Amino acid sequence: GACRVSMSMTEIRAGFTAIKANIQSRDPIRTLSILSHPHSLHKVKSSDRCCITHHLFTFYVDKVFKHCRTEDSFVNRKISSIANSFLSARRKLGQCREQNNCVCGEESTEKFKQILANYEGLNVTSAAMKSLGELDILLDWMEKSR
Amino acid sequence: SGELYCSLPNPRNVHFESINMKNVLHWSAPEGTGDGVLYKVKYAVYGVGKWIRKPECRNINRTWCDLSSETSDYEEQYYASVKAFLNGSCSDWMETTRFNPLTDTKIDPPMVSVSSTDKSISIILTVPEKWKRSPEEESVSLLQVYPGLQYNVSVLNKKTKKRWFFSISNNTLVVPWLEPGTTYCVSAQIHVTTPLLDSSFSKEHCIATLKDK
Repeated sequence: GACRVSMSMTEIRAGFTAIKANIQSRDPIRTLSILSHPHSLHKVKSSDRCCITHHLFTFYVDKVFKHCRTEDSFVNRKISSIANSFLSARRKLGQCREQNNCVCGEESTEKFKQILANYEGLNVTSAAMKSLGELDILLDWMEKSR
Repeated sequence: SGELYCSLPNPRNVHFESINMKNVLHWSAPEGTGDGVLYKVKYAVYGVGKWIRKPECRNINRTWCDLSSETSDYEEQYYASVKAFLNGSCSDWMETTRFNPLTDTKIDPPMVSVSSTDKSISIILTVPEKWKRSPEEESVSLLQVYPGLQYNVSVLNKKTKKRWFFSISNNTLVVPWLEPGTTYCVSAQIHVTTPLLDSSFSKEHCIATLKDK
């Protein structure tokens, strides 16, 4: 059967909304997106959604949150709260993957490689801050494809 | 021709105002400039490398520009920017923050229609449509955009002033066991949990239950 992982989208959304303007203002690059260009998440086939979601949770946990410390303790608290939600969701999805068919097709593997290439095209801090600023792109996609 | 030397004060508070995804760019005139200021507008899709001029908003003296058409794909995010001109001088380009039509729009209240029997009232709610370019264009209900959308409904007994609240997911509600010959007023709100979006409550629609037979 499909992998269904419960996570509090409302809490994550509220946390991100509270820091969105702050985080996005730290990203001056308009011409590059980590998640949405050149390929859009909305074009991912439904059969690959589980695998791409797992990849993206891992991406955010391993490559984004830890590089987004700011001088603002309020922002830092919100980031760590979102990070904890992602950490637990990734763990559940990982367990689910082992028992289920959560396989990436070739197209989606390419898609995720592109995301990593976009990320590696910038220095770590800029790439992490830009990725964090694009969290609503991920949440919009996850909610739409629920 | 080269760019003018830009010493004019900047347009202020450049931002999108969006209702049902009708996305209009607004700004305030530069400080201390009287009449005669003209503006031009450009926009960009976030993640795509070029700014695009909006011809209909070139050399305008109003302080708004409708970018609904240009920002209608709500799977994308956008920036817009405004520049002011006066007597041969100009301002810098002043940008919005990143605009996400899906999370940054406001939703109008639902349309409410009510009917009654002697002991009940029936309520039908209709979600507003997403903005569209022309009446001929196919309508998209905001229900399609926000599938998890819910409704909060308030029903007031005008005689006793007693009020009930209901939270429902589908768009119809029958309120039973009411008093015959009594006026009830209904008001409703749209509630989207995530992203968090609440419309205001609609104006009240009042109806009287039929008198006892």
